[in-house]
Amino acid sequence: PRGGASLRLCSTRGAQEGISKPVIDRIIRVDHAGEYGANRIYAGQMAVLGRSSVGPVIQQMWNQEKVHLKKFNELMVAYRVRPTVLLPFWNVAGFVLGAGSALLGKKGAMACTVAVEESISEHYNNQIRTLIEEDPEKYKELLQVIKQFRDEEQEHHDIGLEHDAEATPAYSVLKTAIQLGCKAAIFLSERI
Amino acid sequence: VRSQQYPPVRALQASAVLRRASDEHKKEPLTSSSQQHFDSPPAGHQPEQEPQGPHPSYTGQGGQESEDYESEEQLQHRILTAALEFVPEHGWTAEAIAEGAKTLGLSVAAAGMFHSDGSELVLHFVSECNTKLSKLLEKEQKLVQLGEAEKKPLDEFLRDAVEARLRMLIPYIEKWPQALSVLLLPRNIPSSLNLLTSMIDDIWHYAGDQSTDFNWYTRRAVLTGIYNTTELVMMQDSSPGFEDTWRFLENRVADAMTMSKTASQVQSTGEAVVQGLMGAAVTVSNL
Repeated sequence: PRGGASLRLCSTRGAQEGISKPVIDRIIRVDHAGEYGANRIYAGQMAVLGRSSVGPVIQQMWNQEKVHLKKFNELMVAYRVRPTVLLPFWNVAGFVLGAGSALLGKKGAMACTVAVEESISEHYNNQIRTLIEEDPEKYKELLQVIKQFRDEEQEHHDIGLEHDAEATPAYSVLKTAIQLGCKAAIFLSERI
Repeated sequence: VRSQQYPPVRALQASAVLRRASDEHKKEPLTSSSQQHFDSPPAGHQPEQEPQGPHPSYTGQGGQESEDYESEEQLQHRILTAALEFVPEHGWTAEAIAEGAKTLGLSVAAAGMFHSDGSELVLHFVSECNTKLSKLLEKEQKLVQLGEAEKKPLDEFLRDAVEARLRMLIPYIEKWPQALSVLLLPRNIPSSLNLLTSMIDDIWHYAGDQSTDFNWYTRRAVLTGIYNTTELVMMQDSSPGFEDTWRFLENRVADAMTMSKTASQVQSTGEAVVQGLMGAAVTVSNL
């Protein structure tokens, strides 16, 4: 007559004021990976186009991404979230994407920026929706951060468009390919 | 305020059966006045709470639950905690659990609630040790924050944390190899792995680790290796006060520190070499 009842083996980490750890975990992990990747993409673009006329524009967007990454580093430590195992991979892949798109020319770099920033904005919007559905009060601080970052990524997207991103040869193919890659990266980083 | 997660009836029935079966072991009569327990509602699980007065009444009026009813999980928790006392004699087995149940005034049939290989008992013990370690580390951290204690250097901190955790095994050291084999049963691996990783993560958290890159994984992997090898050494250690084990631990932690220092040295040397080569290339191209 085995009861089969499962013992709840408490992890030593207690819940912080009722915040859902699995939800926060995923959100912070994937956002951290995203900002990390964005940093590497701009680094790759600067390596190729740093001395061109769009250098300062890219540098400025890169600086903002650095601020974003710093914020997520802090949140990661505060909520004791595990970073994604794929970070070394995003390190290389991001740089290669940035440098590769920059080698297509200034318009190519801008097209890459437009594609990536559009993916990230959509992703942040999804997260905002999820958090608001869960409990806007509980997640107030996080919501504020994500909203602000989403606005800034949207700005980057618009800057990319202003700099003739759509004039890139094979723009829609390039954009679709990059956004597919972003979707895959988001899916993996949430889980691994 | 009632917050149970289990269908109350099953717990009531199970406990009622145990109660009736243990009539001859009863120390106090079942009180019908369960009102006195209204102010201590069960909320989740309370690991350290020992029953103060008469046992809570399970069979209220006509099978209705009383406000103070104990969940099945809490009951299991109490039984396993009581069973630990009998582990040195009986090992991590159903016998130990049965003996533990007897001391709580329950029937030995209570052991039937658990698997016969002692899995839950071992996992319960490991979980309790981890909780104790967390509380200890948190207390030490508070002392440092209040300025009443010096912040330990990293190698000393890691050494002390691992030693404190391993010392909790000493009363059960004879039967610990059996416990390790239970933890490695395929059925238990998800739980035991989860317990191990959260313990190691806790130690690094209190050590002040703030890494957000791949170092996060490297550090935890290294510390897990140190902990596991030291645990195995402890099984075979017959030196007085386990001094051989602590010396082994000290050396392993020192090795880890050296390894990380060497790694960063290699990296800076590599960067310097690359810079030198770039400089040389530029020079040559300008000739």
